[in-house]
Amino acid sequence: MTYPENADTRDDAGRGVDRGGAPDMAISESELRSLTNDMVDAHHDTFPQMRASIAEWEELEGESTRRALSRRGFLATAGAMIAGGVALAALPAAAATRPGGALAAARAGLPAMGSDVPLDVVVAGLAASLENLAVATYGAALKAASAHKLGPVPAAIGNFATVAMAQHKDHAAAWNSVLVSAKYKPITASNPLYASIVDKDFAKVADVAGVAELALTLEGVAAATYLEAIKALSTPAAVAIAASIQPVEMQHVAVLNFVLGRYPVPLAFGSLSGAAPVSAAHGLDFVKS
Amino acid sequence: MDHDEHGLGQLIEQSDDIQADAMRASRASLHEVVEVGRERRARGEIDQEEVEEFSTRRSAALRQGLAGAGAAVGLGAAILALSQTSAFAAAPGDVQILQTAAAIENLAVATYGVALTLPFIGGASANPVVKTFVTKTRQQHIEHAAAFNASIRALGGKPQTKPDPVLLQVVDKAKPTLTNPAKVVDLAITLENGAAETYVKDAGVLKDLNAKDLTASIMGVEAQHVAILLAVRALLAGGLGADITLPPPIAKLPAAAGSVGFPNAFYSTTAARPATEGAVR
Repeated sequence: MTYPENADTRDDAGRGVDRGGAPDMAISESELRSLTNDMVDAHHDTFPQMRASIAEWEELEGESTRRALSRRGFLATAGAMIAGGVALAALPAAAATRPGGALAAARAGLPAMGSDVPLDVVVAGLAASLENLAVATYGAALKAASAHKLGPVPAAIGNFATVAMAQHKDHAAAWNSVLVSAKYKPITASNPLYASIVDKDFAKVADVAGVAELALTLEGVAAATYLEAIKALSTPAAVAIAASIQPVEMQHVAVLNFVLGRYPVPLAFGSLSGAAPVSAAHGLDFVKS
Repeated sequence: MDHDEHGLGQLIEQSDDIQADAMRASRASLHEVVEVGRERRARGEIDQEEVEEFSTRRSAALRQGLAGAGAAVGLGAAILALSQTSAFAAAPGDVQILQTAAAIENLAVATYGVALTLPFIGGASANPVVKTFVTKTRQQHIEHAAAFNASIRALGGKPQTKPDPVLLQVVDKAKPTLTNPAKVVDLAITLENGAAETYVKDAGVLKDLNAKDLTASIMGVEAQHVAILLAVRALLAGGLGADITLPPPIAKLPAAAGSVGFPNAFYSTTAARPATEGAVR
């Protein structure tokens, strides 16, 4: 899956631009824009916090991340419970089902990537690759919508995809800044394991509801992965980034649930179901810069 | 109102089943974290940097551990002593943070309870989707409060049963003004966003893995509440209250409705409550 040509979906003011194809409804649009603009502006206020976190990472990277391999395994319990679409559900079970338990599985996943790659760096790369995949998927959906391959596309759905894609792009940039600060090259590709499956699922999508279902699964994977990552990451800056992104993915999930006619907040506690296993970082190039 | 209450009830019932499964998984996960922590510390698998950081930032807990272990003990024995307490990874800071979280939840429960007594939220004139959301959300906050208090107890602290005192003033001040759904939604957004931002911050501060895991599992749910409330507020402001249905009349809605619920790519912490604001005095 490739990035759309018009992946930059923000206007000069940095606000989301609807390129979903369907015309906006005139009524109430201005009021809604007015209500949302303040909040969109607030979004840009969060970037300095991100930069501060990443700078902090740079200071801590040399020490904290080196301790990562002695920590409890990453993504321990959730990989076996991958939910969502049929194809995504066929992903390999992760640590919980492997002999030796979570720590052994996490360690076992690392040598192929280079035993000297700190676990926090692996997690950042895995996160970046999942975000890249989300960007690519939403981009492909918007392209398909523009080409009238999905039937009628409501304006609100087009706007959702456009803004969500822009946010995932920001998330990928944040994780890649972490990699760069840790002296690794950015991960610009989609996660190969998940991309191969999403590509197959996407090929079967024929309408907006199908796209929403696929997006819901991807957003759920991201949210669950960050929930696992928060307790597995050792660097405070990396924890802060994961903690600041996870609620946003959860918000995407809520809106998608609502769009699909489901109760939007069904769980009182975030679920680990569907969290990406650390082995999903296989195939990513962790190259020192 | 285009709304199938029976269908909504079924959806919620299904989600409750999922919720029960999630709770079981969560408990298992938290139990595992506690056990792993105990085992690691019992084996002395803690590196020097971690010990020093723990010692510096949690000196009170360390003193308590040393006292429990006897007068002349080394650092390893002190850590071992800590590992044998229920609060092995805990510290007063963590308990205070959790008490503040419980206080925020207590206030949310009380506030949604008051909202449900209003005819346009919980009465005959209420939008059924909004009523269901308020009812369900209140229940989720009850569960959050119970979970935070369980975590506090596990760390040897005193459960917090009172509301956050500072936010309570905000709610008390707002109560007389709650004359329509939009004003209730505004107040709910303030509380939910305050909770979400507090927990985002807490997730990076808490030392106890159990508490960190729990808090992280709740912050996203509060953010989801915010997302739905933002969407509801926007629709009410746009005169589209009748379109607050499940499923929504998506083709009718303005484009902005699709993203009004998630205005930021990164969740802010500027509205996070001070860590000790709701601590038991």
